[in-house]
Amino acid sequence: MTRLRMLLMALLPLIAALPAAAAEKLIVGAIYVGSVNDYGYNRSMHDGLMAMKAAIPGVTVLEAENVPESAEAERVMEGMIQQGAKLIFATSFGHQQFAFNLAKKHPDVDFEHAGGWMQAPNFGNFFGATQAAWYPMGVAAGKMTKTNTLGFVAGVPIGYVIGNINAFALGARSVNPKVEVRVVATGSWSDKAKEAAATGALIDQGADVIAMHVDSPATVIQVAESRGVFSIGFQSLEARALAPKGWITGLGFTWGPFMTATAKSVIDGAFKPAMVREGLGEGMIAIAPFGPAVPEETRALVTAAADKVAKGFNPFTGPITDNEGVVRIKDGEAWGGDKMGNFDWYVEGVIGKAK
Amino acid sequence: MPRDAALAWLGPAAAAARRALFVVAAASAIFALLLIVDGKDPLRAYRDTLVYVFANAYGFSELFVRMSPLLLTSVAVAAPGRLGLINVGGEGQLYMGGLFATAGALGFAHWPAAALIPLMTTLGFLGGALWALLPGLLRAAKLVNETISTLLLNYIAPLIVSYVIFGPWRSSESASYPESPAFVPAARLPSFGGTRVHLGLVYGLVCLLIYGFVFARTRWGLEMRAIGGNAEASLRLGVPVPAYIIVSMAVAGGVAGLAGMAEASAIQGRLVAQLSPGYGFMGFLVAWLAGGSALGILVMAALFAILSSVGDVLQITQGVPFSVINLLMAAILFIVLGERGAGARR
Amino acid sequence: MSEAFPIALASSAILSGTSLLYATLGELVGERAGIVNLGLEGLMLIGASSGFAGAALTGNPYLGVAAAALAGIAANGLFSYVVIARHANQLAAGLSLTFFGLGASALIGRPFVGALAPGLPRLGAFDLLVWLAAPLAVVLWIVLYRTRWGLMLRAAGESPAAAFAAGRRPERAQYQALAVAGALGAIGGAHLSLAVALTWDEGMTAGRGFIAIALVIFAGWNPLWAVIGALVFGGAESLELEFQARGVDISPFLMNMVPYLLTLLVLTFWGLRGRSAAPAGLGRGFFGVE
Repeated sequence: MTRLRMLLMALLPLIAALPAAAAEKLIVGAIYVGSVNDYGYNRSMHDGLMAMKAAIPGVTVLEAENVPESAEAERVMEGMIQQGAKLIFATSFGHQQFAFNLAKKHPDVDFEHAGGWMQAPNFGNFFGATQAAWYPMGVAAGKMTKTNTLGFVAGVPIGYVIGNINAFALGARSVNPKVEVRVVATGSWSDKAKEAAATGALIDQGADVIAMHVDSPATVIQVAESRGVFSIGFQSLEARALAPKGWITGLGFTWGPFMTATAKSVIDGAFKPAMVREGLGEGMIAIAPFGPAVPEETRALVTAAADKVAKGFNPFTGPITDNEGVVRIKDGEAWGGDKMGNFDWYVEGVIGKAK
Repeated sequence: MPRDAALAWLGPAAAAARRALFVVAAASAIFALLLIVDGKDPLRAYRDTLVYVFANAYGFSELFVRMSPLLLTSVAVAAPGRLGLINVGGEGQLYMGGLFATAGALGFAHWPAAALIPLMTTLGFLGGALWALLPGLLRAAKLVNETISTLLLNYIAPLIVSYVIFGPWRSSESASYPESPAFVPAARLPSFGGTRVHLGLVYGLVCLLIYGFVFARTRWGLEMRAIGGNAEASLRLGVPVPAYIIVSMAVAGGVAGLAGMAEASAIQGRLVAQLSPGYGFMGFLVAWLAGGSALGILVMAALFAILSSVGDVLQITQGVPFSVINLLMAAILFIVLGERGAGARR
Repeated sequence: MSEAFPIALASSAILSGTSLLYATLGELVGERAGIVNLGLEGLMLIGASSGFAGAALTGNPYLGVAAAALAGIAANGLFSYVVIARHANQLAAGLSLTFFGLGASALIGRPFVGALAPGLPRLGAFDLLVWLAAPLAVVLWIVLYRTRWGLMLRAAGESPAAAFAAGRRPERAQYQALAVAGALGAIGGAHLSLAVALTWDEGMTAGRGFIAIALVIFAGWNPLWAVIGALVFGGAESLELEFQARGVDISPFLMNMVPYLLTLLVLTFWGLRGRSAAPAGLGRGFFGVE
């Protein structure tokens, strides 16, 4: 391979890219930890990007699925940058460090990471403030359960997940004080066989409503449906297609508006890194339609609770005791959004150890 | 004399290179067919890869990033292999090396890099060595075959690492996300230039050189090769077979442990649950493809690195899942397996 | 409808142990014939993806299982060829099969990620594959120890040279054994996607193929012990999850280590007793010079 040929080959992609660049406003790259067909987190991210693409003509989207939370992620994002991407969405928690490394290396590219905390002039962080949104889900579960046992399948029991479980429990107990929530953690954001076994274990323990926080709700919901129990979905509003009989309701992320606004800011050269956490009513989270089994009065209760949250109700207002009897939030205090990652205890009514 | 020796050595190496080229060409053709069937453009993929790998500073540097752990884990297989021992425990030894090195990084975080890095290197070596020592002892005592014991220990090591990062070493800064706290800068293995190529590459090259030298030029190497040829005869000739078994396994484990230390320290900057995407097993294949030759290991490790780059390129430019590159890898391997023929050594 | 702990644990262990058991039995048959196949993980992935694809395309989960079995036989056929006809190194060939399975399953399964396929229907408490698993182990035991074919197979595994001298063709038995192994390994994978997880995802076997290889050792190459072993290994995972559901706090990682430590201990114990349960010709040179 002669030097000249190598040089030409190196230049070819540049030459090929030139005419395209003229018509194009922005190339956006996105990496997903799983497949976009997962009825879950990755699907919601993909839907958001597609909404952004539809809203801004001239935007090209590069996507890579099944990008592990490892050094490989850095290679893939770098590849997208070399293809001209000026805005990168790193959508899984474990991509953070690698996206951050690249942000330092490429000050002319903007990064948005989902769910982390790192910040830099060209690195911002965003996520839905899910905790309070789980409260109305708890209300729905508390009303629909007949055995007074709710099951929750958690992936990795980090603070934010525990916060979701706590809000769920608080909501359920607000309408049904006898309810208890059992938690099983699989230890991984996506291990389908473990999720199936965890769901089975919870149902064996008497749970007749199953909720979850894993990357894809598909397996949990399908197992619940096959065993005739109710399910409450999470991550993507599309999950309701999986449980025609047992679906109660669910939470889904609607990333479109945020992603569109971010892309526009990059095009205008006005990207501002921030720690964005939007809750119910602020745009990033929506409540899914109700399933056929949910009676009118329950729907009304859930909707009322959701409105309350959207208007600013904070379920983590003291006094709140944990499931070992220790008062964790005193009377008059409240845990705000900045503390949602700090949960290492479960509220009363949750059976499990948060370690 | 040295010149003659170098030429004599180069002869078979050139033949091996020719054969390797043929194998790669054949496998690439098969893979190209597959891509075409899938509606993708193989020529563009291969061209993009060559551009990425040779005309692109990042792509070129990433080759070395990928090669570094492979050099170490393949020596970990090749060295005991010369004695007729089969070490498939590279994964586990790597994890234990990472674990021990992390202990150093977390426990002595206030030390300066000049002291901390050597400490972590020593600990990494120690961790891997201990993990391979047990199988070595069991084999020397003729209790358990080392293939089985190293394989079983492969499962246990990542579980120990997970236990530790979900428990005592859980990082408090990231809302209990399961990983260890980040290493202080003094605990990070230095990198070259602005790339991710790190000192681990030097570790790999040094181990490879030592491996090549020991087996080609020292009495120990001669005795070990004799064991590999006929252990009973060597025993009768007074070669301390059990001692060599134990030491070679331990040293091999230590070398793999260095790979774990390097991945944790240079690439990840902390101990994580998924420290290795199979470097141990890939090392086995590299060593096997290389027939145990040091130069062969270098070439084969580079080949594996380039193949992975093809995977990157395919994923980014044509939307093919990265996993599919495993088919190209498998094609190459099966062709080599098919043509090695009867009576081939290992 | 809260079930008693032992029942819940047993049913959970049985469900998660079944795919392991099929894979283990398959590997066991191959190893009894003298061939160790490290590519079991690849076989299971091929089975999981083809099984799911087959069920999605035909609308019939049993046809999916059949498709998986055929795919497994084909994939293992490739392995058999290089190992038997070309005398390739078994460990290297096995690892190559793993790579092959990783890639092929990703390709086969890609159109079906997120698709809904009919799962294996429950007949009573479990699906058909679960009910057939333990009887299969018994059948295999009978075949291995009470039939001529089994004898030939074991002869090929103990001493191919002696078998050859006696006028038999060990290679034929080995090809047949590996065909059975391919089918069973793939069925093990299909059970995961069609009965346990009810979906297909890249890499979903999560190392179960390698666990099955350890399980063969744990079972002492005996199909009946393999049933116990699958319950123990499958049970370790379920035990940990059932404990959590009951609020009992034991580290899942420590629990998952137990089966491997047990296996190592048992092997060491056998070694001290001077006994090796493995087929003498396993891996041909795999077991070293003693």
